[in-house]
Amino acid sequence: MSDGQSSLVRGTLDMLILKTLSLQPMHGLGISNRIEQMTDGVFKVKPGSLFPALKRMEQEGWIDGEWRESENRRKAKYYDLTPAGRRRLGEETQNWGQAVLAITKVLETG
Amino acid sequence: MPILPRLKNTYRSLFRKSELESDLDEELRSYIELLAEQKVREGYSHDEAMRLARRDFGKFDRVKENVRELRMGAAIETFFQDVRYACRGIRKNAGFAATAIFILAIGIGASTALFTTIHSVLLRSIPYDSPESLVVGRKTIRGVQSGPISRVNYLDYREMNRTFDQLAAIAWGTMEVTMTGASRPDLLQATGVTWNLFEALGVEPVVGRSFGLDDELSGDGSAVVIDYGVWQNRFGGDPNVVGRTIHLDGSPYVVIGVMPLGFRFLFDVDVWILIDDNNPIDNRRDAHSLLMVGRMNDGAAIEQATADLGTIAVGLAEAYPEANANKSVVLTDLHHYLVRGVSLNLRLLMATTVLVLLIACANVAGLLLARGERRMAEMAMRGALGASRLRMVRQLLTESIVLTSIAGLLGIAVAWALQAGLLRLLPMAGLGFERPVVNGAALSYAILASALCGVIVGVVPALRSSALNPARQLGSARINSQSVRSRRLQSSYVMLQVAISIALLVGSTMLIRSLARLTSVDLGFTAPGLLSGEINVQPDKYPTAAERALFFSSLLDEVEAVPGVTSAALTSKMPLRALGSDWPTWPAEQPQPANQDAFMPMARWVSAGYFETMGMSLLNGRDIQLSDDPSSAPVIVLSESAARGVFGDAEPIGREIRVAFGPIQDPIQVIGVVADARINGLRRTPDAAMYMSASQFGANRMWLAVRTAGDPDRLGAPIAELVERKDADVVFSQPMSMATVVDSWQSGFRVVVTALTLFSAVALVLTARAGRWLGRDWCWGLSLSTQ
Repeated sequence: MSDGQSSLVRGTLDMLILKTLSLQPMHGLGISNRIEQMTDGVFKVKPGSLFPALKRMEQEGWIDGEWRESENRRKAKYYDLTPAGRRRLGEETQNWGQAVLAITKVLETG
Repeated sequence: MPILPRLKNTYRSLFRKSELESDLDEELRSYIELLAEQKVREGYSHDEAMRLARRDFGKFDRVKENVRELRMGAAIETFFQDVRYACRGIRKNAGFAATAIFILAIGIGASTALFTTIHSVLLRSIPYDSPESLVVGRKTIRGVQSGPISRVNYLDYREMNRTFDQLAAIAWGTMEVTMTGASRPDLLQATGVTWNLFEALGVEPVVGRSFGLDDELSGDGSAVVIDYGVWQNRFGGDPNVVGRTIHLDGSPYVVIGVMPLGFRFLFDVDVWILIDDNNPIDNRRDAHSLLMVGRMNDGAAIEQATADLGTIAVGLAEAYPEANANKSVVLTDLHHYLVRGVSLNLRLLMATTVLVLLIACANVAGLLLARGERRMAEMAMRGALGASRLRMVRQLLTESIVLTSIAGLLGIAVAWALQAGLLRLLPMAGLGFERPVVNGAALSYAILASALCGVIVGVVPALRSSALNPARQLGSARINSQSVRSRRLQSSYVMLQVAISIALLVGSTMLIRSLARLTSVDLGFTAPGLLSGEINVQPDKYPTAAERALFFSSLLDEVEAVPGVTSAALTSKMPLRALGSDWPTWPAEQPQPANQDAFMPMARWVSAGYFETMGMSLLNGRDIQLSDDPSSAPVIVLSESAARGVFGDAEPIGREIRVAFGPIQDPIQVIGVVADARINGLRRTPDAAMYMSASQFGANRMWLAVRTAGDPDRLGAPIAELVERKDADVVFSQPMSMATVVDSWQSGFRVVVTALTLFSAVALVLTARAGRWLGRDWCWGLSLSTQ
């Protein structure tokens, strides 16, 4: 995801990260790889956007970071969803669905 | 996430920024390493992988900067959000907010006003150079502080000490002198000082010079320094005043300097007279009349100085056992000495206001807690929507701090009002301190107090209100037990308030009772309808005792002829207006006791009819009469306790006594006994006193007591005119009704009592008010819990 797009999809980035973490706890690189992979390379989350987002969500209490060993015995900070984060994801998904539905309606009209 | 680790997290973010930073560094580095590893797996060499990873990562510091900005921005944004939210809450709940703000404004205002006063009296330093090295010295007898030091001893202390830069002395009080030689006679307040007093204090005259050691050595006893106000008012600010000769009580003095505007030390004085051998305060080693004022050497501590003077005192006691046995010196920090009269009152008041502030806090905390109960649903909802507990606590705290800040601003206004009214009455005029004003220090105090109140008031309710676990809370029955716990907390708040209020009330009731005792105290004379003032004749104009006695007795006749005057009499010292003068007294047939063992009643010279005019009851024997003149044998009337002090239970009438210090060395016959009266103050036991016939002494300075039929204050002017007509060089000074005098003795104490009562009343009202609010909210809590 380039910086130019960030204003458009700031909320979206949160949602993508929450979604990613809802599957399993992950470290920063894992999250950005997974998002890139899931969106077929449309969104590339660079560290300059990723870390502020992670820190913000950590402050909001949606995610929680913990140092663990990675698969090849390196230390990495893994993030996990909190119950609040899980609820947040539910809300955002719902909102997103409604928004997409609404926008689609507008675009399809006429 | 459970509450505890999250609070820990926040604690870290608040207080351990650097640790957070290094944690981020580590995380970013691990990101790069993982990325590089990935590149290696994709087939790059190790070095190449590292390079690519770094390139892809972008600028390390830039990423960190982004995170930091976000954190800061979030904090500020949250803060403003909280403030906005708080303001909205206050607007929505105007009644509640007004109550809370009112309560806190009064608490903060009252304590700010008190703080200002205390700051200007107790905390700020006195207006002299390096005040910490200034001390005052008083005499002790067998280790007990007992007043002034004799001049002769002082000179020895000054000569022999090794711990003082300057050891000076000032007379233990002021005297009134008549200044003549100018256009009209003027009464001035004078005191005696040693040559080095001003130097010890570090104050220089603005015009002319200060006393020097030469002035003392030359011993012509004629140098004076005058006050700035006298210089302006009596000499028109004439710069050539230095070198002018003025006459004080008929003796010539030369003005050598003018002290700066506002200078004042211990007493309000118009003229400082140099104490030297020719102008001695007294020349006996056992006549005590000086307060020592010393500036200690650099680095000397008060303990060293005390030890130093104590060693000298031991030597003096050995050399002059009759005069100095068991005597020594106690040193007191000058600042402490100056504030000794008011500091206790002020501390009492400050303690009271702190309690009032605490009550106000407990009050508002109770209100917030009660309201928190109502807001549980709101909080539970916010919690459900993902607000962290910390976020909620912070928001609730912001609310209470916004509340207390508004209250703090109002409190400053309250402080102004209180300051202007109540605190100006404090007996501070005599201290030489500036009048307290609400200044920067006071404002900082108010702001600090309101912030502190905000936290005190907010923290428990905030923790309670946000202590819900939203997941289990919504729609669960646990709210019931929550309310019970909240209510328990509320009750303890109310209990705390009630306890403090009661303590305050009991305290002020006790003070009111002692004020009542003070007001209803038996003076021993009848103050209402009594006018008093001082009259001072020039000794050079009336050189003999007979002439002075004649002047005064004809003056009495003329005063008694003034319409509205019932009777008039004279005394050398008016009760409560002129204090002191106790003389050793013993039965004439016995040898004179050592001074420190002597019984010392107050000695007074009175005219015939004095007791009747004062309204003092003669218990036994006869009054002083006109016939008790210099041609007849000396007579004396003892007060009840003086008679008991000299003769025990034996019949005193007809016995003879001797009095040291006085002009009459012969035995004096006791002719009567009168009731004791309060002479030196209201809050001590009535003084033992003895009254001798004024005409047998012939003083040049007497107090006139006038019993009037109507308002005594109305007669001040006619009597002053009469005196002036009789002799243009004599002044009837400070005419004042004795009721006013008694009142002024009570006023300082009355202010304290009034303030305390007022504060207790405020506390009580606050407590009652909180009870009402809580009552209402309890009902709310109940209705909520049943929903």
